[in-house]
Amino acid sequence: MGSEEDKTRPITIEAKELSKRYGNFAALTKVSFEVRMGTVAAFLGPNGAGKSTTMRILTGFLSPTSGKAKVLGLDPTHAEQRRELACKLGYLPESGPLYREMTPFESLGFFADVRAVPKPLEAIERVVERCSIGEVLHKPIYKLSKGFRQRVGMAQALLHDPDVLILDEPTSGLDPLQIRDVRGLIRELGKDKTILLSTHILQEVDAIADEVIMVSEGRVVFTGTVAGLRGDSTLEKRFYALAEAAKELGEAKKKADEKKEVA
Amino acid sequence: MLDFKVVSAIFRKDMRVYLGNPTGYVFITLFIVVAQAVLILREEFFARGLADLATLNEWMSVILMIFVPALTMNAWADERRSGTDELLLTLPVRDGEVVLGKYLGILGMLTLSLLLTTIGQLSVLSVLGDPDKGLMFSTIAGYWLVGALFAAIGLMASMLTSNTTVAFILGVVGCLMLVLAGTLPWASGLVGVVLCTLVVMLVWYAARGTADWMGLVAAGSAALLGLLWLSRGIAMVTEQGEEAAAPSADGAVESSIGDRFSELFGSLSVTEHFTSFGEGVIRMGDVLYFAGGTALLLYLCAFLLGRRSW
Ligand SMILES: Nc1ncnc2c1ncn2[C@@H]1O[C@H](COP(=O)(O)OP(=O)(O)O)[C@@H](O)[C@H]1O
Ligand SMILES: [Mg+2]
Repeated sequence: MGSEEDKTRPITIEAKELSKRYGNFAALTKVSFEVRMGTVAAFLGPNGAGKSTTMRILTGFLSPTSGKAKVLGLDPTHAEQRRELACKLGYLPESGPLYREMTPFESLGFFADVRAVPKPLEAIERVVERCSIGEVLHKPIYKLSKGFRQRVGMAQALLHDPDVLILDEPTSGLDPLQIRDVRGLIRELGKDKTILLSTHILQEVDAIADEVIMVSEGRVVFTGTVAGLRGDSTLEKRFYALAEAAKELGEAKKKADEKKEVA
Repeated sequence: MLDFKVVSAIFRKDMRVYLGNPTGYVFITLFIVVAQAVLILREEFFARGLADLATLNEWMSVILMIFVPALTMNAWADERRSGTDELLLTLPVRDGEVVLGKYLGILGMLTLSLLLTTIGQLSVLSVLGDPDKGLMFSTIAGYWLVGALFAAIGLMASMLTSNTTVAFILGVVGCLMLVLAGTLPWASGLVGVVLCTLVVMLVWYAARGTADWMGLVAAGSAALLGLLWLSRGIAMVTEQGEEAAAPSADGAVESSIGDRFSELFGSLSVTEHFTSFGEGVIRMGDVLYFAGGTALLLYLCAFLLGRRSW
């Protein structure tokens, strides 16, 4: 699969100098990267690096303070284009939020209604099987274990058979068996879809990703293949080194800004 | 255009959420009990010897002022707290569809509560005497319109903050302003100023050509509301002008200017527009007041949602 640089494939996800500020706090600083069609890209970074913020911008839930995002050539900050994009995009938000009072079946029915999925019952049946949630289909979601909830979230993201998947920490809170299942599912989906998944787990990158975009302190510190990230060292060593470097860079910038203000 | 399939899906989802947990039933039950108690437990009810809802009328806006914000305070806060707003707003939906769907969910609960209350009251009144069905109908329709307007205020309050308590207080204060507009000059002044600002803002927004069709509808209804209000104001001013002409004392003229202003703003009051419903008369102007006010507020909700500022 597309682990080698394949410039002939069209760019599916593109971030151009995305910056996001929450008040005075810079959550993202000029984040740029691209993901080509048919790749599984891991968005790697420690907690608080800005992974979720970037994904929220790509899906149009948040607007960036500056910079541009394009997914499938559509601009998520533009209301009509965002809607068109939403039809072709599956999104699993962080920690898989769902309507707790509803059952998985009712929830999927709701998403199928809103998305106007053709043959909704068949579509639901397909994702129920794919995500193995058959046994809890008619239990209220607040009674489900974390693993099942996460899978219902996945089923929701797959319901309309989207071309692009954006998954925010799809394996967080799962036990090792469930993690294996979800990774297997993602690998299988990656055969014909473009996937961007965020994680702070190095083994995950090794296990499923073709490419890596590593962020730390709101900046992109590495883009390339998993082998490229590893280099002649180990993934772990490289991860710590890059995260450290980003932290120092961030602190240096902060000091420079403070000096400017004093002057 | 809005896709009403999407609106209906969101409406049904919300009804399911409301009725899927005990709070929904507690709400309906409390509402019925309070409305029934206020109707019957007051001395005037039996003293008057009439089988109607008159003893409830003066209290209904107070009941709705508390109950409706209690119903709406979680409408958007819940979605935000559980993170489902992120799911909902990344679906192929328009902001207007989300707002309308959520609003109809609230209205559904309100309608259900009012309907059950009416059945209860009708049976009580039928035992005691022969209630006037037409009067009953117009009164309930009036309650419903007041509740519908308050629901839009409450929904907006719940979009302004993710804190449930703050949303409740904001909602109550908003409703209170509209109720007091008829009696307290400062409240009426405040409501008037807010309305004028909204009208100017919406008309400017529409004139810049950035508004979609909903914006045009909102600007239209705002302008219509403003016109209705102004025409009353003009009528009042000319009436008072004739009156003032007879006794030509300077003091009288001055105080009448103050009165005119408070009366002008007072015509925005919920109480004033409800009165004729309570007397069995449904007037076009009153219905327009409630419908226009609700439409205006809902448009503002969609506008808030579109800014994605959080
Ligand atoms: N709504 C918000 N207001 C203020 N700060 C925020 C908000 N959302 C996220 N942040 C901050 O932005 C940074 C990046 O957050 P996030 O994108 O969630 O990181 P990640 O997903 O990589 O763990 C964090 O330091 C977080 O505290
Ligand atoms: Mg995150």
